[in-house]
Formats: sequence, C-alpha cells, structure tokens
Amino acid sequence: MSLSSKLTKVVSVAAAATLLLAGCTSTAGGSSNAAPLKKEDLVFVCSVINTTNPYFAANIEGCQTLGDKLGIPVEIVDAQGSSQTEISKIQAILAKGKKAVVFVNTVASSDAPVIVDAVKAAGGYVTIWWNKPDELNPADIGNNFVAFQKHSGVDSGKCTASMLSKAIGEEGGIIALPGVEDSTTSQTRVAGLKEELATNFPNVKVLDIRPSNWDPQLAYKNSKDLIAKYGDQIKGVWTADDGMQIGAMQAFEEAGLLDKVKFVSDGLYPPTVEAMKAHKGNDAIVGETFHRGYMASAIGLYTAYLAATGEIDPSTLPAEKRDSMFKISCVTPDNIDEFLKWDGDVAGWVDTLIANGPWDTDPVPLVAGGPEVIKPEYK
Amino acid sequence: MATTKTSESTANVKVDTAAIRAREQVTARRVMFAGSGEPLALIGAMVVLIIIFSILNPRFATIENLQNVLNQASLPLIIGLGATLVILIGSIDLSVEGVMGAAGVAFVLLSANSRGGQDMGIWAWILPLALAAALGATSGLIYTMLRVPSFIVTLGMWFVGFGIATILYGTDAYPELTDDTVTLWAAKINFGLPNVFWVAAIFTVIVALVIRYTRFGRVALAVGNNEEIARSNGMPIIKNKIFIFIVAGLFSGLAGILATMQMGGTSNHIGDGYLFITIPAVVIGGTSLGGGKGGVFRTAIGVLLLTILNNGLVLAGVSPSYQSAVSGAILVVAIVAAAWPQRGRLRIAK
Repeated sequence: MSLSSKLTKVVSVAAAATLLLAGCTSTAGGSSNAAPLKKEDLVFVCSVINTTNPYFAANIEGCQTLGDKLGIPVEIVDAQGSSQTEISKIQAILAKGKKAVVFVNTVASSDAPVIVDAVKAAGGYVTIWWNKPDELNPADIGNNFVAFQKHSGVDSGKCTASMLSKAIGEEGGIIALPGVEDSTTSQTRVAGLKEELATNFPNVKVLDIRPSNWDPQLAYKNSKDLIAKYGDQIKGVWTADDGMQIGAMQAFEEAGLLDKVKFVSDGLYPPTVEAMKAHKGNDAIVGETFHRGYMASAIGLYTAYLAATGEIDPSTLPAEKRDSMFKISCVTPDNIDEFLKWDGDVAGWVDTLIANGPWDTDPVPLVAGGPEVIKPEYK
Repeated sequence: MATTKTSESTANVKVDTAAIRAREQVTARRVMFAGSGEPLALIGAMVVLIIIFSILNPRFATIENLQNVLNQASLPLIIGLGATLVILIGSIDLSVEGVMGAAGVAFVLLSANSRGGQDMGIWAWILPLALAAALGATSGLIYTMLRVPSFIVTLGMWFVGFGIATILYGTDAYPELTDDTVTLWAAKINFGLPNVFWVAAIFTVIVALVIRYTRFGRVALAVGNNEEIARSNGMPIIKNKIFIFIVAGLFSGLAGILATMQMGGTSNHIGDGYLFITIPAVVIGGTSLGGGKGGVFRTAIGVLLLTILNNGLVLAGVSPSYQSAVSGAILVVAIVAAAWPQRGRLRIAK
C-alpha cells in the first residue's frame, strides 16, 4: 500500500470520527430539557412542495402572515417537487445559525425522519403536515418534533361521497379519480368514499376507479376514456382533489354532458369557487370540503413556535396534540359563503389562532388523534 | 490488340433488353417498397389490437371513441413532428416539457383569463410561439456552435423553459381562460374529427412533404446518415440543425398552447409527461435514434399505437395497478412481431 493511499485512509477515518462526534454534540443540544428560545433568535421556515399549486401558495401566505404578526422573519423553501431539494434547502437554512421554527409540507413520507433529525440536531422545532411514516411518532423523538398534523382523508371522502350520492338521487353509477396510487392522502379519501357508499348508499355503484396522479391532464384523458366506456351510465364524478376535477369537468363539457353529471372533490380551489358561484353546468359541482393551506401552515408553525418559546411543553401534551387531525367541513353551494369569509381576511383569522391557540380555532379545531387507519375492507 | 478483342466480343453479344428492363423494374419496385415493411407490420399490430379491444368491449370501436383516441393522440403527434426531425439528424430534444410550460403559461396570461389583464388577440399566439422558437434556437446554437451534445443542452433548456413558466406563473391563482369558444375549440368536431387532430394531421403532411421534397429535408436525412459526407459535400449543416431545433421548439410551443386550451387554463406543469410519450412513439414508429432513417408518418403510427393501447386497456377494464405492466408487455410483443420479418437484415441491436 502506497503512502498516499495510507494517508487517504487515515484522513477519511479522522473525518468520519469528527462528523460522528459533531453529530452527537449537536443532537444533545436539541434535548427535551433545552431552555426556551428568545423570540429575536428565531426564524420561521416554511417548506412547500412547489409554489404554483394554489394550496401550497396558501401555505406560504399563512407562514408569512403569522411571521408578520409575531415579528419573526420567514424563509420559504420551495422543494420544486423534489425531496432532495427540500432537504438540502432546509439544511442550508439550519446551518445559518438562527434557531429554526419549521413547518414542512413534506414531498414524500420518507422525507419526514431526515428533516426531523436535521432540525433536532440544530436545536430547532418542527411540525410536519400531511405526510410521515406511521411509525415515526413525535413523542418518541422528543420535544423538537413538536407535532404531526393533518386533516382526515377518510372524513373528506365520506363527506364528498355523501353529497354526490344525494345529488344523483342515491342511485346510479359514478366514476372515481384518485391521486397518486400510493399517496396516503389519496388512499384515505378513497377509503372514505367506499365506506360511505357501502354504509349509507348501497345503490350508488362505482363504475371505475382510475388513479390520475393529481394531474388535471391525466384526469381529462381518463375521463374521456371512461365517457367512451360508460357513456350516460355515469351520473357522478368523484375526484380526490380540485386540480383533477378541472380536467374531468373539461372532458364532460366537451362531451356535452356537463349539465347532466354531478361533481364533488376536495380543496375548494379558486377555480372551483368561481365555477360554483357561476352555477357552471347546471350547478355541476354539488360538494366540496373546506380546509385551507394558510390555516395548515399557520397552525403548524404556531404550534412549533409555542414549543420553541417554552409556552407549551410538548412532552406533557396528550397524544392527540402530538399526532393530530383537524376538522374538515363539507361545503355545498348553499353554505359556501360561510367558509369563503375566512379567505377574505387571512390576517384576521391568524389573530383568532393566536388568541385561541392551535387546537381550538374555528373552522378547523382539533377533532382526533392519529395515525389515521384505513379499514382493510375499504383499501 | 486487347482493345480489338473487346470490341469484337461486344459486337457479338446479343443484348437482351427485355430481361434488363424486367430486372430494372424489380429493383425499382424493391426500392419503392424498401422500408415500408416495418410500418405496415406496425399497422398490422395495431389492427390486431383494435380487433381484440373491440371484442373485449364493443364500445371501443365506436365513432365517439375514435374521436376520443384521435383527440388524445394529437398533442403527442404535434410534439413528435419536431422530435422526429431532431432524431432524424441524430440528435435528441429533451426540452419539450419546459417549452410547453413556458408557451402555455405565456398564452393563458396574454389571453382573456381569470387573473384579468388584456386579451392580446393574435399576439397571444405570436409571442408564446416566438418564445418557444427562441428556446429552440438557443438549444440549436449552443449545440452547433459550442459543440455541446444535444442531450445536455436540451436537458438544460427543459429547466430554463420550466423556470420561465414558473416565473411567468408567479404565485397568484390558477389562471383560467374565460372565453368558452377558445377552451372548447380543440375538441370541437369538424368533418367528423376533432379540430386538434386536423391541426396535427395537416402539420404531419406538411413536414412529410418538406422531408421528402425539399433540400432542407434531404440535408437533414444526409446529416443523420453520415454527417462527414454531408459536410464534405458542402451542405449547410449548421444552418439546417439550428433550423430544426427552432421548428422543434415551435411544435412544442404549439402543443403547450393547445394543451392549455384543452384544459381551459394552465400551470407551469402543463407539459408534464409528454416527453416520455413522444420519444418512445417516435422510436416505436421506426425512426432510428442514430439518425438518417425514419419519418413523420412512422411517428404517427407510433403515437396511435400507444394511444390505442392505453385507451383500449381502460375500456377493457384492466385494473390500473396492472395497466402499466400490461401495456409494456403488449408493446414489446407488438414491436417484436412487427420487426420479425426484418430481423435478418444486419440490424444489429445494441
């Protein structure tokens, strides 16, 4: 073995040992007994999957509004749909030195442990929204992983299934367009749809289920194929989000069927609101769910902020406040205005959040603890 | 002496002109049909698929479903025209999705849309197409002048295009086209077929004629076949390559605009997924990735084969979980069957 290769080995071992020690030291800094952080040392980090989807854009709005109210600077992380980008950008912000209070809408479930470890090692506090592996429990990690939060997908599916079934007279065929097949969010919404139909609307039949990957164009194509296959047997269309509903409605409009078919979906995006208000296609959209990106991010960040400043001690919180599900509301054309009022005054809503705390603010109070379980028969 | 012998023997041989003519005719016929075996076999495979799908679900063979299939095949075909030209010169264009996004977002923002702003009329078409052409020209210039492989340049331009789309899109609400005549135009049926298909068909014929009958087309084929020989013959290679990338950009831009019209609005992701329908379709059609061999009618067959396959599987009720695997398996069988008669002709597969 040459001298240079020996030297390389020695240097590599030394470097690895240094990294290991550094890791141990900084992890110790993030223990649950850490002293409360000062407000002026904090930075809010708001990580979203991309910045163009209306939901993620609303996530950013929520972070910025809360940051303005509390006088804390906000750093936005645009993951550009990539777990790698998301993790490396978060790590870069953590390395800047300020103590990070982090909200992450994770690109994939598997990102959560990596992000949680990095934030904990840097002595920050994080709340994860929507996606994490079931076995990753905040209570097991310590105070730095303050909470995991989401809205129930099963409730969303039940709510939309019920409204669609009633709108088509409780009998006939419907088609379902879920999101990406292995997405937990999509799976739970589909499970809610199946459970509601099996329990309360046995005469409503799902003709076909075609995953459309949250992609409006794929939903458009699948809808066109299903129209060719089933024609006027289709009385209703269930989509797992409003983006896909846009594609599906376009396909039915082109086939001249928009005013004969009813639609439900999740999200109440701006184009959906406009279509409902304009009574598009003989009131084609009969049901939606209400939950908002700005509410999710503000609740998530505020929970982490309370932990960082010592106003709450996560280790003493009940299980449902560490792994939480917040209320999702069913929206019809008749009650839509009750919900849209929040969108017109995001700053006002954030005031109510600060006044009432993360678990008791209308219209999205805490309703249950996680993890959300899908019954095997509805998988 | 030798010269005298030769001239004597020539004079003594009776020339059988009828036999020579017959041989010439056979050769001419062979040349005429050379290369048509593979496309014909692919069409045969397509017919078999159509028959099987029609038996599995009678609704497959209806006029409505034909219109549906042609509607779905149109955008991949339009992009495929540019992709075929690029592949014919032995290059590749990966920028398709980024260029579509940039042109699509520019189009919706310059048209009457839900975000407000003025309807720019014809400029809503011209400016996005100019942007797409500029992206194509940039790829072409970097590829030819700086001699960077087209794979790398166009991969970069994919993200440049996507970046432009993202900046133009901003963070405001999803912009929708507010004029229903625009949003329903693409799928509207004229002379029995959707408008968007007529657009694709007309451009296919134009590009086929250009490749067959113009100097531009012949230079492209010569470059793909053997660039060194083409260059030593004084052909305008660089100009030809740059122009082809501009044309490919224009087709991607047009597809971005038409996709936006179909969706009634757009995001920067409007082009997502199109690259990996188009390039396989071009190659399945028989255009060689090495360049110099192929054409747009072959691409049309490739696009139709893929579209029919996906549509047929949905109508046949194949579970979505199995669809991708089944679709891949059928495709491999169809291509092997189509290429079987040509297997002996020194087509070495690497």
